[in-house]
Amino acid sequence: MEASSTARVICSYLDSYVGKNVIVVGKVVQIRGDEAVIDADGNITAHLNRGSHLAAGNGAQLIGKVNPDLSVKVLSSLDLGNNVDFSLANLVAKVSHQNKDLFIYD
Amino acid sequence: MTSYGGGGGYSRNNYGAQGGDDAGGFMGGSQTGSQGGGAAPKNYSDDSLRPITLKQLVDCKEAYPGSELKIDNAPVTQVTVVGQVRAVNPQTTNITYKLDDGTAVMDVKKWVDAEKADDSDPKFGPDAYVRVWGRLTSFNGKKHIGAHNIRAIEDFNEVNYHMLEATYVHLCLLKGMPNGPGSGGGDQGGGAGGGGGGGDSMFADGGNGSSEAAGGGHTARLATVSRNGRTMFNFLHNSPGGNEGLHLNLVAQGTGLSVRDVIGAADELLGNGLVYTTVDDETWAILDY
Repeated sequence: MEASSTARVICSYLDSYVGKNVIVVGKVVQIRGDEAVIDADGNITAHLNRGSHLAAGNGAQLIGKVNPDLSVKVLSSLDLGNNVDFSLANLVAKVSHQNKDLFIYD
Repeated sequence: MTSYGGGGGYSRNNYGAQGGDDAGGFMGGSQTGSQGGGAAPKNYSDDSLRPITLKQLVDCKEAYPGSELKIDNAPVTQVTVVGQVRAVNPQTTNITYKLDDGTAVMDVKKWVDAEKADDSDPKFGPDAYVRVWGRLTSFNGKKHIGAHNIRAIEDFNEVNYHMLEATYVHLCLLKGMPNGPGSGGGDQGGGAGGGGGGGDSMFADGGNGSSEAAGGGHTARLATVSRNGRTMFNFLHNSPGGNEGLHLNLVAQGTGLSVRDVIGAADELLGNGLVYTTVDDETWAILDY
């Protein structure tokens, strides 16, 4: 019952969420050590935490904080397997921003 | 004939002899009557299952303590939500899950069935995505969902699907059905004598239909109206304006239509006898008859 939300975003929305928590759903393009590149209508760099178990090529959901350089510091991550409709996920992010009264507290 | 007469006499005798019973019958009748009266405000057509986001639940306020909860002007009782479990708190009588769907966080209580041996063990760990069917309940001013059923989500696309479905229902209730299926529903409603405003709305809470008796008629009459006209009509219908109606600018602002479109829609609705002008030529109210 907390009046706070974690916005679902795609790459182009990141700049309006600097310092805030967001949900990113996208395809894992590349993993390099504790850094990953996620494609959510554009590539996003994510700094993974210790608990992250992602696989390149699979879908992933990241919840994290947006850094000033528009990378995401991951707080929680989830491997979604290989059966994720990414265009649907991107659409949901867009729809959620068109209907903020359902999804997002400003 | 004789047997009939005998029977009649017998039964009359029975009544006469047992006046007390008769009175008892009346008592029973009045009791069920009062019960029926008490239960009458509970409208089971409002009990449809509604997909929503948790933010909608958190934001919805009761008009007064104990009143029914409404979202988008339609009563909500049964809801379905999708979210991630953030915390599990098993208790003796229930398991409380903290559910987060990215829009808000809310408690979901699953009552433990004492007769089922393993019912008291939480089945969903933190971070698991689940779908919950339940009833929105308000207790001491704190809202939670009383879950009928919780199941794990295996296909992540269901999460996104749910978000779109919740948006769809929200927009349908706010702005009316989209043109295609809406007009189909309207025709059906008209054919079935305004039967609840369209067989199309198996999940929406009756939309315009069941909430008001006149709704079915409106839907039928709206069948021939263009999309803009429908939007404007639904906006007027859902706005508290009384008899004064709403001014052009308010309608344009509220519906997101341009002033020109609103004027066009108003002409169309006027022509169909659905609205009338009130204080001036640019203020309209719904014509109810």
